[in-house]
This record gives sequence, structure tokens and C-alpha cells, in this order.
Amino acid sequence: MSYTAEKVEEITKEDWLDRLQNLHITRADMNRIIMNYLVTEGFKEAAEKFKMESGIQPGVDLDTLDERIKIRDAIQHGKIQDALSLVNNLHPELLDCDKTLYFHLQQQHLIELIRNKDIEGALEFAQNNLAERGQENPDILNELERTLALLAFEEPENSPFGELLHTSQRQKVASELNAAILEMEDRESTPKLANLLKLLLWSQSQLDKKKVKYPKMVDLAKGQIES
Amino acid sequence: MMLSSIMDIDGSYMEDFFSSDPEKWLSSVRQIKNTVIGNTKQKIALLDMGIVSRLVQLMMDESTSLEMLLECVIVLNSLARCNNGSRVEHLLKSGVLIVLFRGLSHSDLKYIEACLRCLRTIFLSDVAPTDIIFQEPTLVPLLVSLMNHSRGTQECVATLFSCCCKTEEQQVVLCSSGAISELIPLLTTNVYKVQMPTLKCIAQMSYQNQAVSAEIISASCNEEQMIKLLTRLLARAKTTEMQIAAAKCLTNLHRAGVISPRDPAISIKTLSTLVRMCKKDKTIAERVEGAETLSYLIEVDLDLQQTASVADHVIISLASYFRVNTNEDDETLTSEQELSLKKAAFKAFAALGANDEDIRKKIIETENLMDHIVQAFAEANTQVQLAAVRCMHSLSRSVQQLRTSFQDHACWQPLMKMLQSNASNEVLIAASSTLCNLLLEFSPSKEHMLQQGAIDLLVDLTKRDDPALRLNGVWALMNMAFQTEQKVKERILKTVGPDQLFRLLSDPDGAILMKTLGLLRNLLSNKPHIDNIMANHGQKIIQAAVVLILEGDHPTAIKEQSLCILANIADGDTAKDFIMTNDDVLKKLMNYMNHTSIKLQVAAVFCVTNLIWSEDEDALERQAKLKDLGFQKTLQHLLSTNDSSLFDKVKTALQQFA
Repeated sequence: MSYTAEKVEEITKEDWLDRLQNLHITRADMNRIIMNYLVTEGFKEAAEKFKMESGIQPGVDLDTLDERIKIRDAIQHGKIQDALSLVNNLHPELLDCDKTLYFHLQQQHLIELIRNKDIEGALEFAQNNLAERGQENPDILNELERTLALLAFEEPENSPFGELLHTSQRQKVASELNAAILEMEDRESTPKLANLLKLLLWSQSQLDKKKVKYPKMVDLAKGQIES
Repeated sequence: MMLSSIMDIDGSYMEDFFSSDPEKWLSSVRQIKNTVIGNTKQKIALLDMGIVSRLVQLMMDESTSLEMLLECVIVLNSLARCNNGSRVEHLLKSGVLIVLFRGLSHSDLKYIEACLRCLRTIFLSDVAPTDIIFQEPTLVPLLVSLMNHSRGTQECVATLFSCCCKTEEQQVVLCSSGAISELIPLLTTNVYKVQMPTLKCIAQMSYQNQAVSAEIISASCNEEQMIKLLTRLLARAKTTEMQIAAAKCLTNLHRAGVISPRDPAISIKTLSTLVRMCKKDKTIAERVEGAETLSYLIEVDLDLQQTASVADHVIISLASYFRVNTNEDDETLTSEQELSLKKAAFKAFAALGANDEDIRKKIIETENLMDHIVQAFAEANTQVQLAAVRCMHSLSRSVQQLRTSFQDHACWQPLMKMLQSNASNEVLIAASSTLCNLLLEFSPSKEHMLQQGAIDLLVDLTKRDDPALRLNGVWALMNMAFQTEQKVKERILKTVGPDQLFRLLSDPDGAILMKTLGLLRNLLSNKPHIDNIMANHGQKIIQAAVVLILEGDHPTAIKEQSLCILANIADGDTAKDFIMTNDDVLKKLMNYMNHTSIKLQVAAVFCVTNLIWSEDEDALERQAKLKDLGFQKTLQHLLSTNDSSLFDKVKTALQQFA
């Protein structure tokens, strides 16, 4: 069976939105997705409140979120050694198994030392703890060099590697650690919401590849469809 | 002080740790824990500082608090992850195993788990003394009882068992301790970290053990049978690691005889999974394991071989195992990886080609395969060498191919060289078996081999300690003697010599006896040869083959061979005299005509027939003598037999009498 070259209809935005309206997603499903997000990302209070308001069960004992929340907080406040201590209490095998994760935590500690202008401390730390890792792995060496390069600048925030000093970098590490902990506990490490969004983006890219014209969602956060 | 220069935090906690003040221990051990986790350099530094004995000492102390015990085990576990054999040995020498085994009887589950994790880490290393858990008889049952307490215990006990179960006795111990009923449900947990070691454990337990395999296969969980449980884990949605592990279980169970090769779980699912593991997109380790497991799966079953040979271009996939470092990916392989790929491919090809001519043809036509095989003969690595020789042996069963490919590749030369070398017995046996095949009559290699001193080599093999080598030596000589020229026969006889011939005919191994007799038979075929050989060696041959065997206590098959030799001698012209002038032999012939075994009677009658064959010169004289001795009468009595072949032979014999 072969397709004859049909004229592909071009769909209008109104038509598209109409079709979307006719799809029915249950409220219960949406609530579950939200609860899953809150629990995975460690928003305990929000999860508890949402449980009360929506009646959706979290699926896990919310107290188990406490540790992860503490760890995330520690990282977000730049207290890496505290975070390490906490993780080692919770899952002592984790950082021995995941070398890359451990390196990223170490790297973050180094960044914090640099942020606090503790140059000597930073150099000593890098020398004692990170040098050997750099030797083992060229990717790690690369990252190490980028981090140390910050020391060469008077105003490291404005250097080409300045992004390492942003709080978004802390977020990145915190999320990486959070996901690793969840995996260690045999739970899903990414929220289902993330997977849904990825699926949407993937579907759009498939349509783009086939050169189909359709109203594309250009802003995920706002749910905005281009006209 | 040296301590602080190594630690980036102040080193006072080390002093605390070694102090005699218990208040200080807990916080110091926690700091140590945080220092070593993830940091190899620190692990080594602390190990060198003697921290292990201190930890063991604290753990042995009855008064140590639970909190403290936990932290100590965690530190030990982290130290054991040093990824360095000598470090693990250091741990072992410091007595950690004793204290860890003791910990398994503690009342606190978390502590038990921590001990199990540490044990698991240690036993995953190459240097661990895996038989130790079987030495203390209560240990395995204890571990089995601990298995299902938590996800952690499940994972660790299954891993421990899979690492330590290596011998048949150990398989039996695990089985009788009830491990199977604890393990099977773990397959349904949907927790990857638990399912994987369980699969590995099942594979180890079922390997070549029919009884244990039978128990495994009859187990079920939630009404789902084992086979179904395992095939579910073969699904493509699972990781390749899991697919291979499940395939290994099914393969081992099948080879142990508890799953039929016709079961679609084997012939379709397992087989196709393993073939898929041989594809180029898999990692080296996966391809090696896939090919080796595949060869184990199919090597004794023709149908499986045939199915596999047409499955998903497997021969092409396997051929690419040789094309390393020329492939498109810039992955350069270590020589170790190259060798393990080659070994796996040889094994797979040997298994594929074991029974079917068409498959062998396809394999031999694989580009450059014969060159690779021959090259591998010279490998220092004996495992690779052995795999290559076995591969060639498998392919050498192909009569048609002998005329062409083997000649072209001059395989005989490296083979001969190997037989003259110090290679292991395993290699020599495989090589000599191959040589046997190459020496079959229609092989073009035969001439070459003769020139290269093959006979001396083979006679030398017949003198070895290993009966398998002696057998192959004689067998090869037997093949060589088959329908060959007289001068070759002469050379064989001369090189073997009467003494060695006697020795071989007195060999405790019946198979060797048979082949030696077979050799004699082949030598004594073809009238002019018979006369010639008997003229030169007659007495000794009669003595050796005939008298020794016929007088001795041997099974029917062997005596039959001897009588056939006599019959061949009787077929000669001048050779006949050797029998006719030997009263002893004639008496024996008479006895055997009246023997209880039909086969022996037939052989004896056949011999007599040759003696009195009316077309031969001086037949009447011989007939007269034998008539005097009562042969004709005996034959007439034999006409009353119920056996048709004996009857025919007797009739033919009687017809010779004038």
C-alpha cells in the first residue's frame, strides 16, 4: 500500500485549539501528576496541603521527603559539606558508586570556596581532592579546569565561566543529587510532568522533521501556541 | 603532622578515633566516613594508617554501641570499594570477615543490612575467598533466612550467592538450604537491583547440575511457572544486561536437561536473544558473552544449530568479531578484548558447524576465517588457541571442504607444529582429532603430512600418558592406513614396531584396543599388501593381534575385530599359510564357530570361507586339511541356525568344498 501525494491540509490555529478542547483529561489525572511532581522534587508542605485540598494520596510517606529536603536546602545555601554529611547518613553507598555525582558535589564546594574568595582554601582543596579525579577522566579534567579558571579573574562572575557562580548551578547539582537519591530508593527520579513535556517536544520535532505545518507550542511555561 | 597534610580537614579526629575515650569515637568515625566516601586517595591513606584493625577491634568489642557499630561497617564498606585487589586482601587479613559474619546474627536489621552490603562489596572483588561462606555450615542457612527481610537483604544475599557458588557441592548446599524458594519470588519484584543478582545466582546454581535445575524449573511464583518468569525478563524492553542474564539462566537449565530444546522459550526466544547480542551495536563484553552463551546453547542439538545458522545474519555478525580496529567507530580495542572476541567467535562457529555440512560450508566460506584460525594456533593465550583448534576440528568433519579450503590454507602444517609443541593436553587432543579427520582417504593434505613426518608424530602420540591422546594417535594411524599405498603401510608398521603394537593391544582402554585392531585391519587389506606385510611381519602380527586378543578376556566387539583381521589374512595368497600352519589358531577358529555370539560365529565362518575359497591356488589341499580337522562337519551343524546372515555365510562356505 502506498500513499499517493495528497495535498496535506494546513490546519488553522482555531481548528487546532478546537481539537485540543475536545480532548478530555480528567482532573484526577492532572492532580496525580502534580502530586507526583511535588513529591519527587521534595515540596513537602505543598504536598501535604495539596493532599488535603485535592484528596490525592502522595503514594509515599511524606516524612521520607524530609531528608531530601534538608539536602536540597543545604546545597542551595552553598553548604556542600553539610549536604555530603546528610547523604552519607542516608545512603552511604551512593557517592562511592556514582563518581560523577561526587565530583559535581566536590566541584560545587570548590565553587563556593571561590565565591567566598578563599583562594588558598580553594587551591588546597582542588589539589588534595580533585586533582586525581581529573587525571582519571578527561571530561572531569575539562570541568575542573573551567572551575579553576575562575580564580584567574578579578571578577569571576563576569568571566566566560561566570555561569558556574550562578545559583542555577547550585540548582543543577541539587537536582542531580535528588534524582540519584530517588533512583537509589528505586523510585522514579524524574517527575512524570517532565516526561510529558519531553514527549510533547519530541512529538513536535517529529512533525517538524516531516515538514508538517501545525500550530506549534513555542512557550512551554506559558503554554503559548504560535499564531 | 603528617595526618593534617593529607586531610583537608583538621586531623585531630584521627587521634580521637585511636584514643581510649569512647565519647570521642562516634563523631570521629563519622568524620572518617565522610572523608573516605567517594575519595580513593583518602581510602588508601587511611588504610595505610592501620585503620582497619582499629575498626575490627571496635566491632568485636561487646560494649560498642549500635550507632558506632553501624558507622564502622559503613566505613569498612567504603574502604573495600578501593577497586584494588591488594587493598581488599589487606581487609581480609585484618579479620573483617569474622566480624561481619558475626554481625549477621545481630538483632538490628539495619546493622545486618550494613554487614551484608560490606560482605557483598568484598565478595564482588576478584580476590575474595568465595568458598569461605560454605565452610561454616550454619552460615548459608542463616543467609537464606535473612534473604527476604528487606530490599537490601534481597539484593545482597542474592549477590553473595551468585559470587560464591562455583562448584557442584556448593550448588547442592544452596539448594538444600532452601535458597531456591527464597530466590524465585525475587524475580517478580520489579526492582532491577534485586532481579539482576537473582538471575546471576540462578544461572550459577543451574549450571551443569540436573538435580538443582529440576528443582528450579518446578518452582513457581504466583502461579507463574519459571520458564514464563524468565522469558518475561528476556523482553527487549529490558536492558541488555538483563536479557543476557535471563538468557544464560534458560540456556543453563536447557543444557542441564530440564527444558527441551524444542520448547519455544529456548528455540525461539533464548536463541534469538543471544543472536541479537552478537550484533555490532552491542558492547564488546556483551558480544563476547552472547557468542559464548549461544555456543553453549546449541552445541549438542542439530535443530538449534540449524535455526541459529539462519537467524538474523549471525554468521556475518560473528565474522565481524575478527574485524577489530578496522571498524568505523574509533574505538581501539585492547589486545585482551580482541582475543576474547576471537575466542568467542571460534566457540560459536565450532558449535554452529558441529553437525551440519551446509552450515559448515557457509562458515568456511566466511572471509578470512581459516586464516584467523591458523593465526590463532600461534597465540600465547592457550584459551584462544584451544578455541581455534576446536573450531577447526568442528569444521574438519566436512568431507567436501577438506578437498578445497583446508588444502588452500595449509592448515595441516600449523596443526602438525602444534602437535610437536608443548601445548596443553586439551589442545593436543583437539589438534590430533582434527588431524584424524584430515587424514581420511580423500584429503589432499595427506601427502603433505606424510612428508612432514606425520607417522613419527602419531606414533609418538600413541605413547602418551593421556588415553585420549593415545586414542587419537592410533585413530589417525588407522585413517592414514585406509586404502593407502603399500610403502605407507610398511612405514607405519615399521615406525610403530611390534613392541608398541603389543603395548597398544594391552591398553586398558577398550577404545584404543578397537582402533589398534582397526589399524591392523586397514593395513591388512588388499591382497598383495597382505601377502607382503605378512611375509615381513606375519609371526608378530598373528601373535599380537590374534592370539593376544582372542585368548584374552575382551568384549565381543573386540574379538570380532580380531577375527576380521584373521579373515583378511586368510584373504591373502601366501598369507593363508600363516593360519593353516598354526594349529592353535585353527583350533580357535573352530571354537569360535561354535561360540554363543552370532557375530563371532559369522566372523569365524567368513575367515574359514576365505581359507577354503575354491578359486584360490591350492584350495583343495587346504580344504582337505580342514575337513580332517572337522571343519566341514561343524559347518554342516551350523546350517540349523535361525540367524539368516550366519546361515548365508555357512552356505557359502560349504559351497567351497569340492
